[in-house]
Amino acid sequence: MLMARDAGKQESKSLEEFSKRLDAARVAQTEENPQTSRGAALGKGFRVASELLAAMIVGPGLGLGIDFFAGTSPWGLLAGIGLGFGAGILNVMRALRRQDPGAASESQDGDPNAGAPEGRP
Amino acid sequence: MIDALAAGPMEQFEIVPLVPLRIGAFDLSFTNSSLWMVIAVGAAAALLMAATGRRALIPGRLQSVAEIFYEFIADMVRGSIGQEGMKFFPYVFTLFIFILMANLLGLAPTIPFAPAATHPFTTTSHIIVTFSLAMLTIAIVLIYGFAKNGLGFFKLFIPSGVPAWLLPLISLIEFVSFLSRPISLGIRLFANMLAGHIILKVFAGFIISLIGAGGVFSLISIFPFLGAVAITLLEFLVAFLQAYVFAMLTCIYLNDAAHAGHH
Repeated sequence: MLMARDAGKQESKSLEEFSKRLDAARVAQTEENPQTSRGAALGKGFRVASELLAAMIVGPGLGLGIDFFAGTSPWGLLAGIGLGFGAGILNVMRALRRQDPGAASESQDGDPNAGAPEGRP
Repeated sequence: MIDALAAGPMEQFEIVPLVPLRIGAFDLSFTNSSLWMVIAVGAAAALLMAATGRRALIPGRLQSVAEIFYEFIADMVRGSIGQEGMKFFPYVFTLFIFILMANLLGLAPTIPFAPAATHPFTTTSHIIVTFSLAMLTIAIVLIYGFAKNGLGFFKLFIPSGVPAWLLPLISLIEFVSFLSRPISLGIRLFANMLAGHIILKVFAGFIISLIGAGGVFSLISIFPFLGAVAITLLEFLVAFLQAYVFAMLTCIYLNDAAHAGHH
């Protein structure tokens, strides 16, 4: 605060420079914030667990619903468990990648088969 | 009195109707949960109005708090959705401050011998509350996503670079993954608050039992007391962290809706 006032008194140029530095500091702060403390690590753990859990609820739930309405008794549930597990792993991978700023882009999935030429552009 | 001391760790989550109200088949009573939601909204409004009342060029302590909240959420929204995402700022900020206030108010101590209905109540420890907030977020994502991208919103389920024969399976998995978002959003906040408050009450129960046992045992009761102090501190951290995580994920999902085509 004090620095800002002094800079403002001298000339507007140094104030401008100060606000530039302040912005840079702010960006740096928000970027490294989620990584630093142990409490954040706890939150990260809870996040990953709930991502997997939610998909494991939705997948089998969807399968059971299809079974109930279409009368295809065990098959909907079995397919739902498989899909739910797949979606859970996908959720966990996304959640972890999002927290890693270096690999933030979602474009390449880490699937070794994904590079096949007939795939969509 | 014995009943009050013997209360189990789940007693704190009990819903008590304050003003009974029944419309048709629906029970719309004003409960202790509703009361603490109103208090959370009131506390948030009072804090921000008191903080921004003076509008000093050099902020005082209270105004600094409000400015930090503003900058924090504004940076989060700009960082994850971009400048156009600032139209969602009011929603994200409201969500953040409401969850934060509800979490923090749930940590307030009970006034001794006050009736049970007025005990501090953690509204976010009930899954219906957190799930409603999550559904609100997903509803906004769906409405905005379809309004902005039209049917292009379905590109969300078609990741790029997937071979054609794998596409039906991947799309199904993406679809289930999308459906699981509101559930994981709701469960995370609810489970964190529920677990923390149960642990807190279990430790507090140990203290009472040990003191009641008398002799050497009442000396040992210092350990669960220290544990309860540590967990209270941890719960303050969790209260902030979960509000942050909820707001952050809301931004990420809104970003998906805003840029469904480019991915």
